[in-house]
Amino acid sequence: MIKILTTLSALLIMTSCSDGSNSGATENPQTTSTEPRPTELTTPSPGNVSTTTPGFNSDRNAYFGDLHVHTMYSFDAFIFGTTSSPNDAYTFAKGGTLKHPAGFDMKLDVPLDFYGVSDHAFYLGVLREMANPESEISKHEVAEGMSTLGDSADRGSKFSRILQFIRSERANEINDSNIVKSAWQDIIQSANRHNDPGNFTTFVAYEYTTTANDGGNLHRNVIFRDDNVPDLPFSRLDSRNPEDLWQWMDRNRAAGIESLAIPHNSNGSNGNMFMLTDWSGNPLDSAYANQRMRNEPLIEITQVKGTSDTHPALSPNDEWADFEIMPFMVATQLASQPEGSYVREAYLNGIALQEKQGFNPYKFGVIGSSDTHNATYAGDEDDYWSKVGLRDSDGVKRGSVPLEEPRDGGELYADTYYNTWSASGLAGVWAEENTREAIFDAFRRKETFGTSGPRIKARFFAGYDLPQVSDPELTSKAYSGGVAMGSDLLADGNRAPSFIAWVARDPNSAPLQRVQIIKGWVENGEPQEAVYDVACSDGGVVDPVSNRCPDNGANVNLADCRISSNLGAAELKASWQDPDYDATQNAFYYLRAMENPSCRWSTWDAIRAGVEPRSDLAATIQERVWSSPIWITPVQ
Amino acid sequence: MRGILKQPLFWFCLIGCFLFAADSLLFVSRNEIYVSTAVRERLGLLWETQTGTAASSNELDSLVKNWIEEEVLFQEALRLGLDQEDSIVRRRLIQKLNFIAESEPIAAPETAILKDFYSSNLQAYTLPRRYSLRQLYFEAKPGADNALASIDAGENAAGFGESSMLNSSYAYRSALDVNATFGPGFADLLQDFPTNSWQGPLKSSFGYHLLFITDIHEQEATPFRAISDQVLKDYRQYKQATARQSYLDELLLDYEILVEEK
Repeated sequence: MIKILTTLSALLIMTSCSDGSNSGATENPQTTSTEPRPTELTTPSPGNVSTTTPGFNSDRNAYFGDLHVHTMYSFDAFIFGTTSSPNDAYTFAKGGTLKHPAGFDMKLDVPLDFYGVSDHAFYLGVLREMANPESEISKHEVAEGMSTLGDSADRGSKFSRILQFIRSERANEINDSNIVKSAWQDIIQSANRHNDPGNFTTFVAYEYTTTANDGGNLHRNVIFRDDNVPDLPFSRLDSRNPEDLWQWMDRNRAAGIESLAIPHNSNGSNGNMFMLTDWSGNPLDSAYANQRMRNEPLIEITQVKGTSDTHPALSPNDEWADFEIMPFMVATQLASQPEGSYVREAYLNGIALQEKQGFNPYKFGVIGSSDTHNATYAGDEDDYWSKVGLRDSDGVKRGSVPLEEPRDGGELYADTYYNTWSASGLAGVWAEENTREAIFDAFRRKETFGTSGPRIKARFFAGYDLPQVSDPELTSKAYSGGVAMGSDLLADGNRAPSFIAWVARDPNSAPLQRVQIIKGWVENGEPQEAVYDVACSDGGVVDPVSNRCPDNGANVNLADCRISSNLGAAELKASWQDPDYDATQNAFYYLRAMENPSCRWSTWDAIRAGVEPRSDLAATIQERVWSSPIWITPVQ
Repeated sequence: MRGILKQPLFWFCLIGCFLFAADSLLFVSRNEIYVSTAVRERLGLLWETQTGTAASSNELDSLVKNWIEEEVLFQEALRLGLDQEDSIVRRRLIQKLNFIAESEPIAAPETAILKDFYSSNLQAYTLPRRYSLRQLYFEAKPGADNALASIDAGENAAGFGESSMLNSSYAYRSALDVNATFGPGFADLLQDFPTNSWQGPLKSSFGYHLLFITDIHEQEATPFRAISDQVLKDYRQYKQATARQSYLDELLLDYEILVEEK
């Protein structure tokens, strides 16, 4: 009887309960997806030539952008304090102002031409939802305290907790597909809203964030050609094996969904990014090489977490190899093994495989990008906010300015790896116009270059019928008489091909100091490399023995970061032939060019704080550009 | 009457009423924790998503027992007023309401509303002053001066200029674009620059330039009909971003704010 009665009264409570919860937002915020998809205004009729935008240039323009941008939907960015949305990120790239989580304004002096938000696919939007105390996911044990994120240390420990969880057996528990889908829809819609053909291009993108068994970084960004994209991104929770990502991309391609993947931070991969075996440990074969190159024509050579061109241990004869080396495995202070982690060595191993076995799995072009977790590109040394929100928002936290009180061991600076990070990573492309199609096609052609931040433009051609560099129609004749960066050139008998290396400064950065061509080849089965200066500023002439420009004497005043006026060049260009050319060898050539020295971000931090720059960090750097290589295929 | 007393239904009702009254009295003196089937189901489901297997009845009983204990503590905390003056509780409640406000669906707007939105945000749909120009590049000033003299004397401009990575013509470039291309401050030099003739030289970060401005496109608003798709996207974005504020504005109407004078 009591039972019956309690049931009666319970019924009352229950009805009132369900009344209450109806008005609550217990549904996931999928409501935005009821919005109709924008309909196509024009349907191209067969045989119709696609129209072009006013900036169209058949000789191609240089466009600059960032394809590696995290927003509030990335689990780590959210924990670090980023509340900026994909929409905010695109607004920033077009010249708008965003607030850093620490309270200061972030704005670009010159807006970017293209931008791609690339949030981590796993747990996409999940941490933000965990911070919503109303949500189911906030009740999961790993969500504990996510709605009350506190100081930098608190955020650091909660970040580590999620990192541990993603590596645990239970990783899938919190990857709620409804939350992921809703965030993914917002990412697609924001990209579409800001895509403005002719003026500003957006790419729908995400990061596939996987790691090798030893924790080595194998991250790559997946960039879609347009808004024809899968319902859900493929993440490490689907498979940690990048070869499975390529299978997925191949299947999508067969269904008309075109994408490419761009690996990054090979420097922190502990030798895993450019291994000479596949995921299962088998030797590479031509099927692997074809699939990898079909899906990964580009690599990110530089970003905030360091530069991956080469390492002093791998290129002992390259005086500029020691540039922004980030020596650790990603998100640790454990050393990352250089072998298998740097781009130049991968190119060398690639052509060695080509020579021995007839395939090359490492024939990729390069871009730079930032990997910002603040939604905001950070490539200016003198206006640097690094990339992980409240974790590295000022000089003390970044280890460029001394702590208020020394640490227990007497060390003056914060115990951090942020001081090895860089104000770096810009992607450059040569494309006819600023549209998704034209820029994506440039990615496919590998007609791309990367810079350490400034908008340095680099042209690079090879061929047997190239014009004089003084020719007023240099560009169009170089295209018709040769091949551009990212291409193959078939050797013509024993004739040495000519190269044109041509670089223009960023008008808002330091002038240029020198242009180099870096050559890699295989001799008697052994990989070899050489660095040739080919154009010098200030009337300098390359020494034919050392292959070096004379020192142009440019320097930096470390009291206020002023640089030498009247030294350096606005443009440098040269026609060049390899003095050691051997038509029987497989070889690659790429361009590298350096600005005059200028202050590193850490020096700017110190000067502004009124302290001495830290003596164990480089006080100045030479900002630079790297082109995609041109590969010479020998006569058989 | 005796007949009624003999009816089991009568006794049933009478005892029922008595028990009900007794129960209500007890209810007054004791707090009640009610475990609905919905609560049991939710606990079971949470267990299943976390462990991958359905909860056994023993596990479920233990989950419910935990829940009851927590609920008792929660009710007791409320009774003691521990939720008052607690900044974390306050923050979570505010957060909850914000989430509710932000997830309200946005209705498809009328064209009139869109047009209003367009008018009040006209700046966003206004193109700045833009230049279309041709340029000749010279590394040093004398080269530029000599070329200009020759062009002024009637020679064809196409024969002059040194090769550079700059384009020989640019169309529809805003001041921001011009500075991005030629360097900081260059656009200022174009402010009152003559059109339709070769002029200069102007100094940039690269060197010296002769310019022929073919057209100045004054600032203009893109007509609504040409940009209505974009306006709709922007409107939705705006509504989403301001949902919290408009909800708050609505609530504020129901509140009178009194500030104690110092």
